[in-house]
Amino acid sequence: MKNSNFYKGLFILLTISMVGCKKDLLESTPYSQSTSNTFWRNATDAVSASNALYSLLGDENLFPHTEQTWDICSDDQWRAGDHGEDQAIEEFTFDASNPQLGFSWSLKYEVISRANAILINVPKIEMDKALQDRILGEAYFMRGLMYWQFYKIYGQVPVITEQNVIENSYNVPKATMEEIESRIETDLKTAGDLLLATNDDANIGRATKGAAWGYLAKLYLYKEDFAKAIEYGNKVISGPYQLASNFGDNFEAATDNNPEMLFSIQRIQGWTEDNYCSWYYAPRPWDGWGFQEPTDDLVNEFEEGDPRLGYSIARVGDMIEGGPGGAPREYTEGLNNTGHYFKKYAKWRADGSGVNMDLDVPMLRSADTYLVVAEAKIRSGQSGDAEINAVRERAGVNPISGADIHDLIHERRVELAGENERHADLIRWDKANIVDIVALYAQDRGQWKRPRTFTRPRNYYFPIPQRQIDLSNGVLVQNPNYQ
Amino acid sequence: MKLRFMLKRFFALVVTVASFQVAMAQSSVTGKVTDQSTGAPLSNVSVTVKGSNRGTTTSSTGVYKLSLQAGDASLVFSSTGFAETEVAIGGKSTIDVSLATSSTKLSEIVVVGYGSQSKKDVTGAVSSIKGDQIQNLPVSGATQALQGRVAGVNVVRNGGSPGNAGSIRIRGTGTINNADPLIVIDGIPSGDLNSVNPNDIASVEILKDASASAIYGTRAANGVVIVTTKRGNFEQPLKVSVNSYTGMSQARKTLDVLDAKTLVTLKKERYLNDGIDLNEAWNNPYNLVQRTNWQDELFGNGITNNTDVSLTGGSAKSSFMISAGSYNEKGIIQNSYFKRYSFRINSDHKVGNRLKIGQSLQITRGADNSLNTLSAQDGLIWSAVRFMPFIPVKNENGSWGSSQSEPNQFGDINNPIFTVNTVDAININTRLLANVNAEYEILKGLKFKTNLGVDGSHGSNRNYNIIISDQTRARAENSLSRGFGEGYSLLSEYFLSYNKLFGKHKIDAVAGYTAQTFDGDYFSASKRNFPNEAASQRYLDAGQSLGGIGGNRSYDALQSGFARINYDYNKRYLLTATFRADGSSKFDQGNKWGYFPAVSAGWRISNEKFFNVSFINDLKLTAGWGQLGNQNVGGLQYLALIGNAGNYAFGNTTVGSTAQTRLPNYLISWETAEMTNIGLSAEMFNRSLQVSVNYFNKTTNDMLLSPPTIGTVGRLSIPDKNVGVLNNKGIEIDLSYNNKVGDLSYRVGANASFIQNKVVKLFDGNYIGSSIYGRQSQEISRTYEGLPLGIFYGWKTNGLYQTQAEIDSDPNLKNDSRRTDGLVAPGDVRFLDINGDGKITEGDRTNIGSPHAKMVYGFNTDFNYKSFDLSLFFLGSQGVKIFNADRMQGIDPTYPFNMYAETANRWTGPGSSNSIPRMSTKRNNLNYRTSDMFIEDGSFLRLKNISLGYTFNESFTKKLGIGRTRFYVSGQNVLTFTKYSGLDPELGYVDGNKQLNVDYAQYPQARTVTLGLNVSF
Repeated sequence: MKNSNFYKGLFILLTISMVGCKKDLLESTPYSQSTSNTFWRNATDAVSASNALYSLLGDENLFPHTEQTWDICSDDQWRAGDHGEDQAIEEFTFDASNPQLGFSWSLKYEVISRANAILINVPKIEMDKALQDRILGEAYFMRGLMYWQFYKIYGQVPVITEQNVIENSYNVPKATMEEIESRIETDLKTAGDLLLATNDDANIGRATKGAAWGYLAKLYLYKEDFAKAIEYGNKVISGPYQLASNFGDNFEAATDNNPEMLFSIQRIQGWTEDNYCSWYYAPRPWDGWGFQEPTDDLVNEFEEGDPRLGYSIARVGDMIEGGPGGAPREYTEGLNNTGHYFKKYAKWRADGSGVNMDLDVPMLRSADTYLVVAEAKIRSGQSGDAEINAVRERAGVNPISGADIHDLIHERRVELAGENERHADLIRWDKANIVDIVALYAQDRGQWKRPRTFTRPRNYYFPIPQRQIDLSNGVLVQNPNYQ
Repeated sequence: MKLRFMLKRFFALVVTVASFQVAMAQSSVTGKVTDQSTGAPLSNVSVTVKGSNRGTTTSSTGVYKLSLQAGDASLVFSSTGFAETEVAIGGKSTIDVSLATSSTKLSEIVVVGYGSQSKKDVTGAVSSIKGDQIQNLPVSGATQALQGRVAGVNVVRNGGSPGNAGSIRIRGTGTINNADPLIVIDGIPSGDLNSVNPNDIASVEILKDASASAIYGTRAANGVVIVTTKRGNFEQPLKVSVNSYTGMSQARKTLDVLDAKTLVTLKKERYLNDGIDLNEAWNNPYNLVQRTNWQDELFGNGITNNTDVSLTGGSAKSSFMISAGSYNEKGIIQNSYFKRYSFRINSDHKVGNRLKIGQSLQITRGADNSLNTLSAQDGLIWSAVRFMPFIPVKNENGSWGSSQSEPNQFGDINNPIFTVNTVDAININTRLLANVNAEYEILKGLKFKTNLGVDGSHGSNRNYNIIISDQTRARAENSLSRGFGEGYSLLSEYFLSYNKLFGKHKIDAVAGYTAQTFDGDYFSASKRNFPNEAASQRYLDAGQSLGGIGGNRSYDALQSGFARINYDYNKRYLLTATFRADGSSKFDQGNKWGYFPAVSAGWRISNEKFFNVSFINDLKLTAGWGQLGNQNVGGLQYLALIGNAGNYAFGNTTVGSTAQTRLPNYLISWETAEMTNIGLSAEMFNRSLQVSVNYFNKTTNDMLLSPPTIGTVGRLSIPDKNVGVLNNKGIEIDLSYNNKVGDLSYRVGANASFIQNKVVKLFDGNYIGSSIYGRQSQEISRTYEGLPLGIFYGWKTNGLYQTQAEIDSDPNLKNDSRRTDGLVAPGDVRFLDINGDGKITEGDRTNIGSPHAKMVYGFNTDFNYKSFDLSLFFLGSQGVKIFNADRMQGIDPTYPFNMYAETANRWTGPGSSNSIPRMSTKRNNLNYRTSDMFIEDGSFLRLKNISLGYTFNESFTKKLGIGRTRFYVSGQNVLTFTKYSGLDPELGYVDGNKQLNVDYAQYPQARTVTLGLNVSF
């Protein structure tokens, strides 16, 4: 008995040494994730990293909603929806803690961070040179595009580049206006050099030379460097980026990847995130959320018989495809407050099973670039007729001759209705004394667009989100107009 | 190898000790000790000669034998749970004693880590709760049962939804990170307190200070809760106990909201005040008819049923306890529930004279449907408060009432009754907790112990979302998501314990090794587009398109060595020294190991010769110091992680993507809490009054903080850095008094804690933000250096502007463009210009209140009179502020929602109101920004439980063939005294510990009346 207990005790002791001596007990493994030591191995990793530049673009709080919201300030649309903070944005009564101001801030810097990681690591990978160039080009493009958005909305923001990442220094002061412009210019130019002119079918939707040049032309127009705006705009116009034969093709899921579409956010139902644009723009009783409704003022801007109105904006009596059961249904009074929604962003599936999530979100069309060139030409004393008429004739509207800046303003408003250009355009023209934005916004456009007070120069830019100011502990200084 | 060395050392020690044993035996006495109530023999009873250190313990059959010396006058018998009994020897050679059970605290044994101690020898701060104090409360878990029982232990409940446990805070919130204490169940650290059936609990010990808890090293910084479940006794006849109760619960109160008519009046008034066109929706006479009080519809009667059965018994060599229980709670919100089934087998076995083997096994299955009651976007109670009162629950045609006709006016809220009736969700959690332990007595007093355990959990959840077409928040596509996960923690512990009494010296030592691993694995999948929503079709195979699929694995481990020695000199001077070394997988090479020392001393003043205060039976002063760790933080933070960064498509080509997800911090390490404790405990008036007072000062250094995530970093998760310092200090008082007057015996207990929490250091002196509220993303709580955790941060106000003249002359608005632009009107809130720039801006926000109570207290009394017993238990919190976020939104007319009834008293002209602003659709003055207008006194006193029982005369019940039978009626949350206007003043933590006491209209705690029966035979 005593002996058997002794052996039992011994058995327990043996168990100890077996479990207790496991040497690597304290080693941990990051399952399903890599570390910086195990990534950036080859072209596969580089391509996967480049895909990450795009995967955030469709986030609700980036382009499909938040970045679209800035245009509720314009005379084209009424905010609608139930986001209380939008009232202050639309009426210019916001302060720096308005939540809308902060939603997209860190998302844009996340895209920049992904671009910086590629610019730091991809050059070290031994891989096919052409592919490497394309990926670096995509990173430069996306970084330039993010700073372009920052520049339009806030003016001055901190510029984070590879060097900040290497030095782990993210809390930095705002760059000057010149530094930001030069960062956008350099990035987009480099992208234009490195990117392909067009992509094959498996890569359609990746940035191209045309996309880089299109944004670059716009930057030069904003900087009033008309010669360069024309130079880079013409690179697009003369490149493989011809206008779609049918204006409406740009806004249909089946045809939205056409040469005119310089850049868009690609959506596939069930794979990518939902197309939040569709949710936000579709009328609420029709499965949408009913935001950002076109004003009657915008509808009235269209010339009699301009087919673009029918493609862009719904009016009472329109028959809309994809109703319950797949049959068209009539757009009626009361579906929206203003009696309109932007058709460009909301489509329904043919089988009647709801909002179409395959629809891409257009970001830049070459039609915009034609009008950028036209504006640059007109404002530098040349004729912009050719470019304006290219756009008009494609749409099926009679050409005009001797177009002046006001014709150009009209053309941009109807061609790009709802595409988040109008408010930024008006600010650009106001700065150049072409329009009086204060007077324009002070007009009473009825119940769904009351007079608003635009304050110069304060409302040229939005304030930096208060939370970012607070978090920076004094490093980030608010736009003095909002102090 | 190490072990053999230690063994040698112990043998050497034993030989040395044995040489002190020189006293010559002159005669001897023997006898048997039994339990007075059952007659069963009692083992391990300490038998000592009074006035000496000589003694022995009884054998498993209750027999003892002791040598006597000339002059020995009497023997003292003592054992846990029994009254210390003194018997004169008087020349007898056989003395049999039967011991009566006792409630006297002094003789108690308290369980401490890796051993137990007599309460009178404890030098650290340890609180003990006996199982019978928490039996048969209508609560879903043991966590709730601990609320208010002892000083320094606060259970903070965030809502009363079925199964919601709340968080335990020992001596304040010790860190901004996970501040939950370590839970040790039957020797297995890491268990879930709520997996234990409260009726299975024999005792709960709470190790509060560093000296007591340092034996658990890196997991002890937030205190340790040790749960010991009931076990059988050797030589005990079979005993069957049945506990059954059923309870009925109701909402304590609802919030008063506007009726349809008044609501329409106020909605219209907004347009008039703003000078804009009235929205036609408000002219519809249909909307003037009051149809539904949504809170009354949502809240109904809840029912709680509990039944458990236990069997205990034992032979000379084996004993056991088997129990099974079923707890079923239906909440006061329709269709909310929590169910728990529990099963336990505990047994102990003696193999020969030296080896003991014990085993515990617990299997628990819990299920709930966790309804959404926390969201300020679509939470159920939130929705019920706001949904339009003229909308019916169901329309005449049988369809659900809806705000779909005018969502921008009537709110994009779904009918909450529709939601509770269509929700299809369940979370099931099955837990296994099992261990085998062995104890081998190498020599008298020297034991080798081992404990091998497993803590396993298997969780599964499902959530089916139906198509919603006739509600405002419509859903075009149905979907089902399922998740499965399992976690296993394996524990192995080996240690030696040694105790010896020699002369006036008593030594009790323990040292050992322990390792524990934590493995986790889960996967989840979802599908969309189910053509048929019938219950039988709600399975993944029936879905026609893929939603998402995910899964991952995790691993963590701890490896540790520990040692503790307790030394007692002459029952007067006590010393405890503890040391633990912990290695954690959460940190990088070079930072893995932490070392945690603690020491404490006690002086039993009452045992000093000079001490001569007749009414004080026992007086002890203790002091201790120690360091503790907290490694309960996210793992892998020392690695720069790169992972899945979402899907994208190029044309029709679908792709995945990869991006960095975290920056690394190679230096990350555990948090260290340094704690000092000074305690004084006394027993007075024939041990009827017990008083214990403790002072503690605890500083958490190297607190892990995530640096302020400045937006320029993007969305990378930023690793924590060991930079913060947090201090908690306070005083705890426990009082207990028991007495007997004729047939009436009673006990009164009270406890109170006064704890001050202060953040000493944060990252670069910056603040830490917290969750934002509602659709306006309102910031409510911030944490700043020099202030307590999570203070309320916002604007200060001073009533409303009554006239335009007040606005024009207000220095607060002197330079404010809103004044000159006419955006501030009479009836708007007067915000205070704190920074003196003559404008109301973000710069005027400041600390507007603390959510931490100045005092938390509990108060309980038990009365026994003949066959009746009555107990009352009060719980309270004093000097505490609540931020009523629900009211902030509830009186705000810019939302398309119903409003609080008090809004009817809004400002309508000079002198009409100084607290409820005018009606407006605009946010020009941001009247409802985060401000002191919404801070309320959250102090409360709650009669948490009252219970009246009747025990049938045993001679009567024995005739029926049953033993002790008790019938009782009890009430939970019966009375609440508070000035707080919200649903429930008991609010908890949100967002870790960064936000506390913010009212989101959480699920309120119910008032429950219970009828119950305990029978044993």
